[in-house]
Amino acid sequence: MTNPVVHIANLTLQYAGQSILSALDWRVQRGEHWVIGGKSGSGKSSLAKAILGQEKYTGNIQLSFDPNSTLPPLAHYVSSWYRFTNLEGDRNFYYQQRYNKHQGNDTLTVYADLMHFGQKRGLQMQDAEPILEALGFENCRNTQLIELSSGEHKKLQLVQALWLKPQLLIIDEPYTGLDKNSRAQLNAILTQIANQGTTLILITNDNNIPSIMNRFAEIIDGAVREVDSTADFTKDQVRVQKTLPYFLQQAPTVDADTMLELKDVIVRYGEKVVLNKVSWTVKKGEKWLLQGHNGSGKSTLLSLLNGDHPQAYASDIWLFGNKRGSGESIWEIKEKIGIISPELHWYFDTNATVWHAVASGFYDSIGWFLDVKYEEKKQLEQLLDFFDLLPDKNKLLHTLPLGKQRLALLARTIIKNPQLLILDEPCQGLDAAQTAHFNAVVDDLSAHGKTLIYVGHYETQLPNSLSHRLVLEKGEVILSESLLESIAYN
Amino acid sequence: MANYFNTLPLREQLNQLSHAEFMDSSQFADGVNALKGKKIVIVGCGAQGLNQGLNLRDSGLDVSYTLRKEAIEQKRDSWKNATDNNFTVGSYEELIPQADVVINLTPDKQHTSVVNAVMPLMKQGATLSYSHGFNIVEEGMQIRKDITVIMVAPKCPGSEVRAEYLRGFGVPTLIAVHPENDPEGKGWPYAKAYCVGTGGHRAGVLKSSFVAEVKSDLMGEQTILCGLLQTGSILSFDKMVEKGIDAGYASKLVQYGVEVITEALKHGGVSGMLDRLSNPAKIKAYQVSEELKDIMRPLFQKHQDDIMSGEFSKTMMEDWANGDANLLKWRAETGETAFEKTPAGDVKIAEQEYFDNYLLMVAFVRAGVELAFETMVEAGIKPESAYYESLHETPLIANTIARKKLFEMNRVISDTAEYGCYLFDQACKPLLTDFMKKVDTDLVGKNFNEGKDGSVDNTQLVQVNEILRNHQVEVVGRTLRKAMTAMKTIKTV
Repeated sequence: MTNPVVHIANLTLQYAGQSILSALDWRVQRGEHWVIGGKSGSGKSSLAKAILGQEKYTGNIQLSFDPNSTLPPLAHYVSSWYRFTNLEGDRNFYYQQRYNKHQGNDTLTVYADLMHFGQKRGLQMQDAEPILEALGFENCRNTQLIELSSGEHKKLQLVQALWLKPQLLIIDEPYTGLDKNSRAQLNAILTQIANQGTTLILITNDNNIPSIMNRFAEIIDGAVREVDSTADFTKDQVRVQKTLPYFLQQAPTVDADTMLELKDVIVRYGEKVVLNKVSWTVKKGEKWLLQGHNGSGKSTLLSLLNGDHPQAYASDIWLFGNKRGSGESIWEIKEKIGIISPELHWYFDTNATVWHAVASGFYDSIGWFLDVKYEEKKQLEQLLDFFDLLPDKNKLLHTLPLGKQRLALLARTIIKNPQLLILDEPCQGLDAAQTAHFNAVVDDLSAHGKTLIYVGHYETQLPNSLSHRLVLEKGEVILSESLLESIAYN
Repeated sequence: MANYFNTLPLREQLNQLSHAEFMDSSQFADGVNALKGKKIVIVGCGAQGLNQGLNLRDSGLDVSYTLRKEAIEQKRDSWKNATDNNFTVGSYEELIPQADVVINLTPDKQHTSVVNAVMPLMKQGATLSYSHGFNIVEEGMQIRKDITVIMVAPKCPGSEVRAEYLRGFGVPTLIAVHPENDPEGKGWPYAKAYCVGTGGHRAGVLKSSFVAEVKSDLMGEQTILCGLLQTGSILSFDKMVEKGIDAGYASKLVQYGVEVITEALKHGGVSGMLDRLSNPAKIKAYQVSEELKDIMRPLFQKHQDDIMSGEFSKTMMEDWANGDANLLKWRAETGETAFEKTPAGDVKIAEQEYFDNYLLMVAFVRAGVELAFETMVEAGIKPESAYYESLHETPLIANTIARKKLFEMNRVISDTAEYGCYLFDQACKPLLTDFMKKVDTDLVGKNFNEGKDGSVDNTQLVQVNEILRNHQVEVVGRTLRKAMTAMKTIKTV
């Protein structure tokens, strides 16, 4: 009988003085492909990192590779959170950097990064090509890392993982940021490599997984507990919906009936057209859903609205009744907008405490602020309580599970009761219960006079209050419609 | 043109040198209003030019760029930088005559030719801005009397000026008005508004003078910032190799160590940096740095004297006239040092290890920061100015070494700084020959604490702590750092 691929005995792991895994035993046999699900913060990622030796633990973990396999004897882990560096090891980037054009490139291109990775790991570039294509990533070859969206970053990590052809592949949250097509593409590739002999471990609560996945487990009290299917994963408790703090029930002051208007807006970098003649009007009180595949231009469009994109100065854009570039500062624009995006989270100063991070929403700064006034401090406490974040308020953001970090940044987004909310995939990284809770909050806020732009991939996880939809494809508007007649989105 | 500083009577020299008033954010309540609706034309679109312009435009100001004809015709990088970000770009003739404010952000060396080309085109009563006073103070450039001359000098690389602005903050900034050119009295309102436009008012602003800025800036960059870091790095690497430490390890320790060590300096000053050491190591680092201060003090004083007398700028300008012969020769020599040619090894060095195994650099940095600061203050420069030009900038320069070693540092800094850095390095190494003979691997390469029991004498430790914490650079630093509300960690490792 062959040895199990993964054989764990009596694994104990602590993080910041807290026991995460205790006396955990687990075997992954050849031919098995596991899905690990369950509650956030239960220790799933810690288990994966321990298997790869990236986390300190006590106990015994043994990996056995098949000497007869054509695949290299290698285990690889794709983490859910990843920050790229440039070749000099620099990570000191800010989220709008991709829009500021500067000769002397700041970061590598996707292709150069892959070359570098390939050289380090002894891989052939031609073997990466089919993977790039299979993931629909071939158009990003010459894109700088700084310009990639969160979904595209995920793809880059996946390309590297698949290129290695490891005998054991562990992917933490494989679908974060991926659109419908990309998810299907990924599942097809995972099926293919599993058939070629790779053992898969996916950490996810998603139902839409490859059919070859045949074992399911979650971590309860620090130990692996097997279940029959993804349907049996323990859900986080449905949260008790609290009443929206009084200050957020007030309708914000609105500067103009037409909140924003774009006329034939074109954004291009050299030859590459990112937005092509985009026209869009958002009136006071409308709730828009913005959709499009990875790379369709959604983030660029939003950056024009938030004063983050230099090309806004050359375009016909009206924000809150003022022509863009008529002497307003970007801080006057940001003051009216509450925005969150995966990129903002990505580049956020996570050395801030939860309290500081949320307070910075009053000043649109990233992670710190000038003096907070008494009234604002009261509002802060109310909102932290509303999101159940009070016990965490003095903790550093980066020490919290991703889902909680995201909740804190959502609190930052709404703290100033803005007239326009721009929520770009706000629930990425949240579990189903947190997502339902947050969308209910959005609906609640929507009922109190806010205007909304909501970007979301999955039709199933949207707020109810959406009234309009704009769909982008390759930088062009292919659909702009009212949803008021439709019930499909309820 | 005569050296402006040398034309001044002594009391006026001292008056201008001692110009330093720390301004907090409340003094900037008028925002950018003084420049609202004015036509701002920036000359040059490199790192400072582009990033300052982006900030000014995002603050609601009217910004365009003017470049030399060749740069436009050949579509050079500066032209691409400006046009790719949707700025109007035009020749001097097209844009300067309409400009209310001309901001000169070209390299020092080009200032004379740029100002000579631009000035005749400037309209009556316009304003000319510099971000470094060399041209006015050392070269003695005379500006038409109807023109207002100001300076706004962010104390960070251009990329940081932009990054901090977009995070909602700014970088510490020096502002000044040239007393010979403020005919309408609008110099200060303009300088303040410009500073707000770049976000500088959110990080602490120093009201300075052209003279104080130049004399302190030159001193800082030649000694502690570039010169000493270069000398200390090369000597440390060579010592480790001589003592049989793995060259790859030595290269990595030196390349990244200075960044890790000065990161502690940035947040907690000299005492914060030494607090990262064990008690016995701290006392040792104190003793070593005291010795270093004694050895190097005359060299620091010579640099300050040559800067004050104009001797330094005179020799450097002679080298400019000679096609940069010396500069290029010295640059090539730096590229050939063993440290430069040994790639950092693929070894993991933990953050604390950079302190424990590189005590020598901690001592070098303390000695250099305090010496530069003390020498400047003795020469009549105010502690606030001296702080920015010594302690404040050290981590920024260390970051360039971490990126790509000394060659990169010398590429990023100005030619003026680079020239002064080589002068210092060449004089400093022989001074330290005897000292370095005594240095062993407990100071550089191996953990100082190894084989020691960690005990110290109470009185001695208290004395050392007191001396460190009560140094003037620490006292003034505590106040100034408070204004930099949002210091971000720069991390390469």
